[in-house]
Amino acid sequence: MRTVGAISLGAVLALALAGCGGSGDSGAAGGPQTISFLTHWGPEQVTALKAAAAAFHTKNPDVTVDIRAVPFANLLSTLRTQGASPNGPTIAGIYDLWLPELVRDGLAAPAPSGVAADVKAGWPANMADGVTKQGQVRGYPNEVDLYALNYNKKLFAEAGIPAPPKTWDELTADAAKLTKRDGGKVTQQGFGVITSWASGAVHPWLSLVNSNGGQLLDGSTPKLDDPKVVAAAQLYADLVKSGATQPSMSSANANTTGPYLDNFVNGKTGMIIMANWWQSALKQAMGDRYSDVGVAPVPVGPEGTGSAGVSYSWLTMVNGKASPSKQDAAWKFLQFLNGPESGKGGSSAMGDILMSMGILPSRTSDLTAHKAELSDPFIAAYVAELPNAKPFPTVLGGEAMSQAVQKHIENVVFGKETAQQAMTAAQSEVAGILAKAGA
Amino acid sequence: MTVQASRSARRGAAIAFLSPAMAVIVLFVAVPIALTFWISLHDWSMYTPLSQMTWRGLGNYTDLLHSDDFLNALGNTLVYVVLVLVTTVPLALALGMLLYFPKAAGKAVARAALFSTYVIPTVAIAIVWGALYAPDYGPISQALGAVGIDSPAWLSDPQTALLSLVIFHVWQMTGYYTILVIAGLTQIPDDVYEAARIDGAGFWRQTFSVTLPLLRRTTTFIVLIAAINAIQVFDPVYILTQGGPAESTTVLSYAIQRAAFQNGMAGQASAMAFSLLLVLVAVAGVVLAAMRRRTAAEGRS
Repeated sequence: MRTVGAISLGAVLALALAGCGGSGDSGAAGGPQTISFLTHWGPEQVTALKAAAAAFHTKNPDVTVDIRAVPFANLLSTLRTQGASPNGPTIAGIYDLWLPELVRDGLAAPAPSGVAADVKAGWPANMADGVTKQGQVRGYPNEVDLYALNYNKKLFAEAGIPAPPKTWDELTADAAKLTKRDGGKVTQQGFGVITSWASGAVHPWLSLVNSNGGQLLDGSTPKLDDPKVVAAAQLYADLVKSGATQPSMSSANANTTGPYLDNFVNGKTGMIIMANWWQSALKQAMGDRYSDVGVAPVPVGPEGTGSAGVSYSWLTMVNGKASPSKQDAAWKFLQFLNGPESGKGGSSAMGDILMSMGILPSRTSDLTAHKAELSDPFIAAYVAELPNAKPFPTVLGGEAMSQAVQKHIENVVFGKETAQQAMTAAQSEVAGILAKAGA
Repeated sequence: MTVQASRSARRGAAIAFLSPAMAVIVLFVAVPIALTFWISLHDWSMYTPLSQMTWRGLGNYTDLLHSDDFLNALGNTLVYVVLVLVTTVPLALALGMLLYFPKAAGKAVARAALFSTYVIPTVAIAIVWGALYAPDYGPISQALGAVGIDSPAWLSDPQTALLSLVIFHVWQMTGYYTILVIAGLTQIPDDVYEAARIDGAGFWRQTFSVTLPLLRRTTTFIVLIAAINAIQVFDPVYILTQGGPAESTTVLSYAIQRAAFQNGMAGQASAMAFSLLLVLVAVAGVVLAAMRRRTAAEGRS
């Protein structure tokens, strides 16, 4: 027994000795700095970002920016596992829903006064507010995405529908006209929904809720049992019951592709509520048939006063766990990357990169510089809806909240719960999640 | 040298020789398990050092007991494991015997083909299966439609999504278990079969009275490994269904990943992981105890 104890102690000591070798910050204060930029962008955008980093290095030889790219699905887990380590990413592009937690845990550093002033001067007030937490600007707003109704103009013409629906009643009627059956089987659905993907399930549904005068949260209090919210769930239930929405056509996979996308691009779905970023996916998958795609505001519900699709944004933040010298270098680089001198024709390099993906930039001068590209009918329809969009609430526990709402929306879609049951249960669950998260 | 000195020397040698192995075990097994349990007693987002975790005691465990989501994940995992076991093990035994006993050409090719599904990375093959399972326009649905069968929606229907993942698992893993069966069959002496034949035993009698009893150790190992592999299923869920639709494919490993890495609840995720470890230990214990009892009973008779 003593032998085993001695062996174990020896092993533990060996481990302790091995684990004592800490890794310090390589960049001494004031000396040359190497900082890293974590992103989920694809190879083309990473190349553009590397070019911007090289241009910055030419002007600032003391700062070298390494670009680290990971798939979207691994971005948050990479931040969680590497964010607090000495060699973790200095800069990260993040989804705004993650910001409250990153601020709480000290990962999203407050911006210096010069950067805060830059953000307030160069971006619309609602975007600057979106990156302000605990009274301090936490990064540069980048892309903005919002939801609108996408519809297939060819299918509309075939069904004799002259214009996209403006109200829920019109949506229901048009969805019925667009639905085709072969015997008892639906071969073309009028209105598509998305399942197996939290944002894909929640954001389009919440766009309908917003357009019916409802809301997900009032501050940090859930409002899911509000009749205006329940009505949107009931709309889904009614569409499924009528056959105009086919649950089997709704699923998504980890790549945010799958049957919901396939059915729309193959002309098997008449309408779907989706965000502007999927333009590139539609173009790639539809080829010439992309011209069949039309975009319209989210239909307004009986209790609503106007269309209000959900919007969300991404921002670039600086790691508050990095050394002060690295943080300074990182803010300097971000100021360059988001400034009007780093891109083409008055755009920032960030604006150019976002536009290369068909994504809306948010800096006012970027929107001006890319005015011609933004006049593309698909994007223009989204730009027109930007002032009416309602940002998805960013609160502590936001991810878990989204998943809880997703579960109950899917329960309605698959007939496991009635609209009222689903929203009552979601209200209780979300309240518990937010209370536990300290929202 | 005295007896005492000799013992001391032997003890020193034992420590010297065993320490590296013990260090590896402690580093890669004991420390992670202990750390997981320690984290499970706290709230932790993973963004802060371990020293800044917030103490919760057994709160994460009591939360799990009252969590419908955890119970759903546990239920899905159990259904998945049972379906995998009742399908894979008999199939592997049958295929193993089919590929071992007959003197036919091409057996090696068949074995290699069966084993190849195990070698291909799950990530790559899961994407292919996602396309195969596409409702209506997917190859499987098209093939069934061509012969007049109304195809289910596979991964897109909560009623069939978990079953679809089981089919994928069976396809992927049966070859591996079949090879294990064949390896076990090679250990059974031909004399035993010869004696059985002399006693007038036919094919079925030989199978149930000779082959299967003498394969018990191999079968036990396969059941254990198959159960553990099934309990740990993650890749296809993550890639193909993200736990949906309507939580129908949320298994424990996926729920753990989601809690830790998406929701920042590493304490709760660790409580789930530690509970999963206890389940695995219990399953292994039951299987091994049953095997020992059977062996002891046979020894007495």
